[in-house]
Amino acid sequence: MTFRTKLFWMFTLALVVSVGLVAAAVTEVTRRSFEEMNRQHTDALVAQFQREVAQRSDDVVHRVQGIADAEGTVRMAIDLSRPKGDVSVYVNDAVGVAKAHQLDFLDFISNDGSIISSAEWPARFGYKIDWVLQPEDWVSRGSFLMKADMQEGPALALMSVARVRVGDKDLYIVGGERLGREFLASLVLPTGMRALLYRNLDPSFQAANLIDSTGPASQAEQFGPIVEKEQQQPGEQIAKINWTADAASAEVFHAIALLGRQKELLGILLIGSSQHDVVTLQRQIALLSVGVVAIGLLLGALLGWWGAARVTRPVRQLVEGAKEVAGGNWNARVNVRGKNEIGQLAKAFNQMTEQLVEQRERLLQAERVAAWREVARRLAHELKNPLFPLQTTVENLQRAKEQSFGQFEEVFHESTGILLAEIENLKNIVSRFSEFSKMPHPELGSVQVNEIVRGVVKLFEAQFGAVGRPPITPELHLDEHLPLIEADAALLHRALENLVLNAMDAMPSGGVLMLRTSPAESGVHLEVSDTGTGLTSEECERLFTPYYTTKQHGTGLGLAIVQSVVSDHGGRIWVESEAGVGTSFHIELPKHPPRRSVSFPISFDYEKEKEKEPEPEKHKQEA
Amino acid sequence: MSRRLAASSAVVAIVLGVLLSAPVGETARRPRYGGTLRVEIGAAVTSLDMAAANADEGGAKWEINSLIYDERAADGAFQGAGPFHVTGFEAGKRVALAATQDYRLGRPFVDAIEITMGRAARERMLDLELNKTDFAEIPAEEARRAAEHGVRVSRSEPDQLLALVFTGDGGGTRTPERGKPAGAKAREALALSIDRAAIVNFILQKEGEPAGGLLPQWSSGTAFLFSTAADPVHAKELWAQIVPAPKIVLGYDSGDSLEQAVAERIAVDAREAGIQVAAEGVHPAGATAVSCRLVRMRMQSKQPAVALENFIDVLAGSTKIETAALPAAATPEDVYDRERAIVSSYRVVPLVWMPRVYGLSARVRDWTPPGPGEGWPLADVWLDGPVDGAAEEGKK
Repeated sequence: MTFRTKLFWMFTLALVVSVGLVAAAVTEVTRRSFEEMNRQHTDALVAQFQREVAQRSDDVVHRVQGIADAEGTVRMAIDLSRPKGDVSVYVNDAVGVAKAHQLDFLDFISNDGSIISSAEWPARFGYKIDWVLQPEDWVSRGSFLMKADMQEGPALALMSVARVRVGDKDLYIVGGERLGREFLASLVLPTGMRALLYRNLDPSFQAANLIDSTGPASQAEQFGPIVEKEQQQPGEQIAKINWTADAASAEVFHAIALLGRQKELLGILLIGSSQHDVVTLQRQIALLSVGVVAIGLLLGALLGWWGAARVTRPVRQLVEGAKEVAGGNWNARVNVRGKNEIGQLAKAFNQMTEQLVEQRERLLQAERVAAWREVARRLAHELKNPLFPLQTTVENLQRAKEQSFGQFEEVFHESTGILLAEIENLKNIVSRFSEFSKMPHPELGSVQVNEIVRGVVKLFEAQFGAVGRPPITPELHLDEHLPLIEADAALLHRALENLVLNAMDAMPSGGVLMLRTSPAESGVHLEVSDTGTGLTSEECERLFTPYYTTKQHGTGLGLAIVQSVVSDHGGRIWVESEAGVGTSFHIELPKHPPRRSVSFPISFDYEKEKEKEPEPEKHKQEA
Repeated sequence: MSRRLAASSAVVAIVLGVLLSAPVGETARRPRYGGTLRVEIGAAVTSLDMAAANADEGGAKWEINSLIYDERAADGAFQGAGPFHVTGFEAGKRVALAATQDYRLGRPFVDAIEITMGRAARERMLDLELNKTDFAEIPAEEARRAAEHGVRVSRSEPDQLLALVFTGDGGGTRTPERGKPAGAKAREALALSIDRAAIVNFILQKEGEPAGGLLPQWSSGTAFLFSTAADPVHAKELWAQIVPAPKIVLGYDSGDSLEQAVAERIAVDAREAGIQVAAEGVHPAGATAVSCRLVRMRMQSKQPAVALENFIDVLAGSTKIETAALPAAATPEDVYDRERAIVSSYRVVPLVWMPRVYGLSARVRDWTPPGPGEGWPLADVWLDGPVDGAAEEGKK
């Protein structure tokens, strides 16, 4: 992934996160606002309910007190206060009086608590209502909620008690209004809200006890959990009911406990608030957010791409420059202006490449001088050896002519033979140097490395088991699935010959010559190992230097030729050696060599290899 | 001072009593002929043919026919020219009767009887109060109120029995389903839970008496041997023994407010004893499935044996009566044994005896309430005062 792409994604990610956070924040704030609005609505409704109840309570108290103060009631009280007061006369009175005062409940109760007349349940005359006899100031009590018995079953009622005292006898008037669907229908509710009443008449939740303003509530079973929770812990509870899978169908219900005289739970008012508007608005906001995010992302992506391109342009130029330098063009320069970090980096890059060019020139010059010195040294050394016999032979000829002319002829012939031989030697030396200088460029073709290995081994078969020298056992470990590579077969053959010769020279006492081929990541790997005496680290370091040799009669050009061939094929060569164990040369050749071969400077990471191989005598040299 | 006041009150009471009671048992003034007796009845009779009588108009039609015919044959059919004959008939609205001049027992005192039909009890009461009618039958439970409003009230002996009759033949205690007959324990439990005194005192406004047997005390003389007291504790115990507890549906005539009040009271009493009873209004001719229902029966004879047999005939259509028929010359003991046998089965639970209550205008004289099996004795009454004037006054 390019720096520009990374920068683009970073910009985009930052934008997504920012927009997402903003959208989430807006959604959350909206949700909270609606919840707060809902809560305020509910609070208002609860307050309204309480006001309504208070108003109704006052109304009920006044009406019941009005009945108590009526002449007929006072007459009844007076009549019943007599020793033989006949209560049966008044058995039907409550119905008419209740109707006149628009009360759902009205009971005339005698001094002993017996029902004289009952409007809500006329047949219940004669039975006692004990709670009304409890010592309580009914005037200050006002109205209260209670579970009232009716013919069709218990009902929730807002009741009030008034008392008419004549002599030492009391007549109680218990009247009230039913809290039912009519009451719920009388509540003025905002749009989207509704009120339900659960009459807590049974120990456990009963769906039939839940009503709304139209009658029995539909799907009342859904309210079971909230009602049971309220039954267990009366107070204010909030619950959400999802009527369908659509979240917009949900309603949030606030449950408010309705307590009786003894603080017992008599009913539960459920105020529901539809979530339709909230959910719809939230969806619209979410949709808007998605749109904004999408547009923002698009714009952000475009701006991010443009910004990333603008920011990364100098970096890209630096990368291109670095690539050119890496490709060998040390004259590459970066044209970046500006005084920021990128500009300073470009300036430093240009300075660095200039210094590198200068240093390379100096290094090449130093190497060239060193090479010439080495060539001069080797030439002097090589030429010194044949020159000395030439000089002594010529001196012998002169001495033979002056001192023993008779033997001159014999000496002459012997000396001319030596002279010719040494001159031939000199010619060979010159020829080898000439040959090294004329290393041909590889002519590429499809090559099977295993075939070359087998050919070289066959070439040296006679010498491995030659009479008069210790035997050398060749071991071939050739991978039959080795891929073909593009290479110059003759050059590779020549390089391998040099390595085999080198190995044979390293094993004067005989040993094992192992040749191994295997597929490598980029092409082919070739290993030539011997079980010779091994090399020192110093020898490894200078091994591929032209004209360097550890042998008495070597020219020091064999490994240099090998390194040159490998380098011309775009491969690499390195050596691993351990004193007393042997030496291994490794060559890696690519399947397709580069068009233009690059000369790699010889280096040796001695310290690194030392860390890898703790044995002090094991060395590696890479060319 | 207080002694003088008490004496004055006693004198006033005696005088008022004489004045109010004099017209009913009048002997001081001589009867006179003439005038039209205005009668109002609740039923809307559509035909005077007794063979076509239905449940709603049966009683009224019988009363009208008893004025038209002289006597009844052995099979109960009316026959012979009675004291009045029909001069006009509008089905369901009005019947006009005129005195038969040559009636064998003598011409009736009044010239005619104008019967207005289809008048509700409330309207009849109002008309009596306003003197728009001379004679009307009023519900027993309204008697006291009518008297308080100045209406002359006349009561017969309590000869109407209101009873609770369990339908079907019973058997077993497994009665969980609607309309299934209740078992013996359930019937007994319900019978014991009923507070008859409360029904008489409150619902009937003390008109009538609690009934424990199938015959009233004034007729059989043995009614006191049947308990009428409620025993809710025992009822609760009995009910607790029934597993599973059935639900009893108590049917009553949906058009009868008295039956409704009694049925609802029974349901309340039963509820206090832990018995599940649902009172439900049904049409008398309907076939609604109920466990038991309220039945009103009127004695057809002063003779206990005849009255009992008559009751048994009526009840046999509703429930199972498993006692042997009374012998031809039944002794009071035979009657009592049979009555006891029926009551002990709790298939029939007598509740209250009610009198028939009549409202009379001030000008009606020599009125005697009829006994069991007797029709209105309107041929014997006469109208006092200026007949036409009174009639005009009434019309106003």
